[in-house]
Amino acid sequence: MRDAPILTGIATVAVALVTGCGGEPPRSGADHERVVRVAERDFHISAPSTVDAGKVRLRVANKGPDDHEFVVVRTGSGRLPLRRDGLTVDEDRVEKATVGIIEPAQPGTTHDLQVRLRPGTYALLCNMSGHYHGGMSRRLVVR
Amino acid sequence: MPRRRSFKPLDSSQGRFTVAAILCTFALFSALSVGLSVRATEGSHHRATVVQVAARQRTLAERYVQEVLLVRQGQRADPAYTGGVLRDSVVALLHGGTAPAVNGDDDATRLAPFKGARVRAQLEQERRLAADLTATGAAILAGRPARGRLTAHEHVRGGDPMLRLRTLAALTSNVSLNTARSMAAGADKGISDLITMQVALGLAGLLASLGLAWALIAATRRQTAHFRSLVTSSTDLVLVFGEGGVRYVSASVTEMLGRTDHELLGEGLVEQVHGDDRVALETTVAQGTSDGVVFRMCDRFGEWRHLEARVTDLRGDRQVQGVVLNARDISERVRLEEQLTVQAFHDGLTGLANRALFRDRLNQALARSARSPAPLAVLLVDLDGFKQVNDSLGHDAGDHLLLEVGRRFDGVVRPNDTLARLGGDEFALLLDGADGPRATAVADRLLECLLEPIEVADRELTLSASVGVVVHPGGAGDSEVLVRHADVAMYAAKAAGRARWEVFHNEMDREFGEDLGLAQELRVGLQRGEFSLHYQPEVAIDSSALVGVEALLRWQSPSRGNVPPDQFIPVAEDTGLIMPIGEFVLREACEQTAQWRRAGLLPDSFVTWVNLSGKQLSVGGVPTTVHAALEASGLPPEFLGLEVTETAIVEGGAAGERARSELQELHSEGVSLAIDDFGTGFSSLGQLRRFPVDVIKVDRSFIHGVEHDPKDSAIAANLVSLAHALNLVAVAEGIESDGQLTSLRSLGCDLAQGFLFARPAPADVVTQMLADGGPPVPGAPPATAPGRPHTITALPGA
Repeated sequence: MRDAPILTGIATVAVALVTGCGGEPPRSGADHERVVRVAERDFHISAPSTVDAGKVRLRVANKGPDDHEFVVVRTGSGRLPLRRDGLTVDEDRVEKATVGIIEPAQPGTTHDLQVRLRPGTYALLCNMSGHYHGGMSRRLVVR
Repeated sequence: MPRRRSFKPLDSSQGRFTVAAILCTFALFSALSVGLSVRATEGSHHRATVVQVAARQRTLAERYVQEVLLVRQGQRADPAYTGGVLRDSVVALLHGGTAPAVNGDDDATRLAPFKGARVRAQLEQERRLAADLTATGAAILAGRPARGRLTAHEHVRGGDPMLRLRTLAALTSNVSLNTARSMAAGADKGISDLITMQVALGLAGLLASLGLAWALIAATRRQTAHFRSLVTSSTDLVLVFGEGGVRYVSASVTEMLGRTDHELLGEGLVEQVHGDDRVALETTVAQGTSDGVVFRMCDRFGEWRHLEARVTDLRGDRQVQGVVLNARDISERVRLEEQLTVQAFHDGLTGLANRALFRDRLNQALARSARSPAPLAVLLVDLDGFKQVNDSLGHDAGDHLLLEVGRRFDGVVRPNDTLARLGGDEFALLLDGADGPRATAVADRLLECLLEPIEVADRELTLSASVGVVVHPGGAGDSEVLVRHADVAMYAAKAAGRARWEVFHNEMDREFGEDLGLAQELRVGLQRGEFSLHYQPEVAIDSSALVGVEALLRWQSPSRGNVPPDQFIPVAEDTGLIMPIGEFVLREACEQTAQWRRAGLLPDSFVTWVNLSGKQLSVGGVPTTVHAALEASGLPPEFLGLEVTETAIVEGGAAGERARSELQELHSEGVSLAIDDFGTGFSSLGQLRRFPVDVIKVDRSFIHGVEHDPKDSAIAANLVSLAHALNLVAVAEGIESDGQLTSLRSLGCDLAQGFLFARPAPADVVTQMLADGGPPVPGAPPATAPGRPHTITALPGA
């Protein structure tokens, strides 16, 4: 978790690139922000399995009891690469695919993450040590 | 009704209470702060312990996985022990107790059960994960498939048991780390809360203390202002003496002395204190004695103000550190006291010393003389003829005269001498250190200074004085004796003709001392009623009828017995006592005659004769005295006769003129007049003719020889015929024998008076005579009884 701020900066740049250079102009009216509720708990993530593409506000509630972070990565069809420990996702390698990160949050708190989702498959995960492998990963299909 | 606000001075106990309250407030808030700090420190310590245990959990979880691997590779390890320690540590964190020591590592750590729902939930999760981890490890080591149900809701992917084991270890480790972090965050929050509370407490304590201190300062300021206004508005002068002189002078100094306080600070005050009082003031201040001190200070106008100060020694008082003087201006009181002293010891008219002060100075001088023999002299001065001035020109003129005389005498004496007015016209002078020559030289100067006339009531009067001088040679002496000797010497000067001085010598005491003693006794006797009147009847020679009485003064002295008038009358005339004595005689004679008249005892034409002294006539004022006596008794003037001597009516000058006019005035009112001792004086017949006399009394010296001495007989016959020629009644005095009576009858003398008829007798005896119709028959008491008188001729002109 030492390098979380760096990750955040990279992710923000990535989102900007994705949204700014996607060539898909925002449609007024239909492009209003939607809120998608996500719940994290030991060691599971609850979220809709599909969501419409566009601007989405992910409202992530940590229901504990442990702290959790929240990472949104566009996965395409392949599996996420792991670090050499074999337990955590190698965030450097999915840096370009990462569309948003919420830093580790205490149980009982809720944080919003604003993302622009393009159609495709995304992974919602907590990459704290052991959490990904312990069950905190969910597939999200954007149409 | 407005509420009165009384000022309550802040006493020292109130001040102490306020200071104590401030200190207590500080202590309370300090204790609370320290308590909070201790709790914060304890919290920090707990956090360190928990973080340490939590860190150990991570290590234990990782070591457990390594040991499982080692055992599987056939190496020696004890994962079961490590797993047990891991589980026990979690339980200890959760419920309290001892986190067991790890082999070769830390000691066992005592932990308190952790409070806080969130952290407890994390710890519960950690406990479950640890249980899942060790269960999985145990299954792997036992060769059993690691598919047991997991308790912490973890869903480990894949079937690799080692991956499952490592995932669980990672979860355990991660949750443990997060738990430790939550604990630390909670502790941090607690500590920051404590710090906030500490700051709040500190601020509250500071405000409370500031409030109390402000209240104390305000009260002190109010009190200071109050006392300052008391001190500054007080008329008393407050001085504080400290090191280097006066340290404080209250503002009232301006009003009291007209000076500013700056002038008197330091050594300035002492410079303004009277030289004689400086030592007393400095001693008082140095000793801080509580007795008051009185000192004089020079005010702005150069006048001495008398200050009376109360002294309070406050050198021990740290607030003051000095000696405080509360001074009052008592100049007015001192002035009044001095004035009273002057009044007590000075003559109100002349401002000279009075008798008391003179006697005091004389006693002091005698006491000095007794110690170191030195001469001194006393001069007594009596103004000659002062009484006449007083009586004729009035008391104002007399006072003016005395004032001028006092002023002249004062110009003659030296400052060391004591000039006093003893009363009346009597002055005294004490010459300390003077011998005989100097004393008489001063006496000369006193007499000389009177030579120049004194203007009184538009007249120029020339007075002389008689001065008695007594010189005390030195040594012990008696002031009484000295003054008496001076009195004798003065009397001698008067006797020697006045307008002179006489120095006392012992023979003088024998010569005049007697008279002076007599005068004193006369004065006392008059007050004590030792005088009385006897009455000698006057009878008609031819009928022996009682036609009048002559009032004669008798003095029954307790020490001298019966004193004849010829002994004391001259003394009374010299001392002026003749005036009150004369008044007494007139008053008494009129009163007695009025009684007889009221009793119906008096025949027609009865006259009571009263002798007037020449002195009385020369002083004047006889009609006033006569009128007073007549009015007091209610006696008609026809019953009163006045006997005067020849010399009295022939006296020249203003006094003689006045005396004659006064007698004429009385005669015109009905008072009879007689010339006493006729034939012995030098009266001219012309004057006798002009003077309204009714009776002449032929002197007894002629009567004595009328029977045998042809010369006396001839004179008596001529006097009687002269009287008849002037249409006056002739009275023969001192008839003692029948022969004398017979001769006088043959000469045609009208009335007679003498032992042959009756001796002077008290009033009651005369009363009896009057009641009996006349004196006893002449000649009855003596052995040789003469022939009886027969008829009485009518009194002419009565």
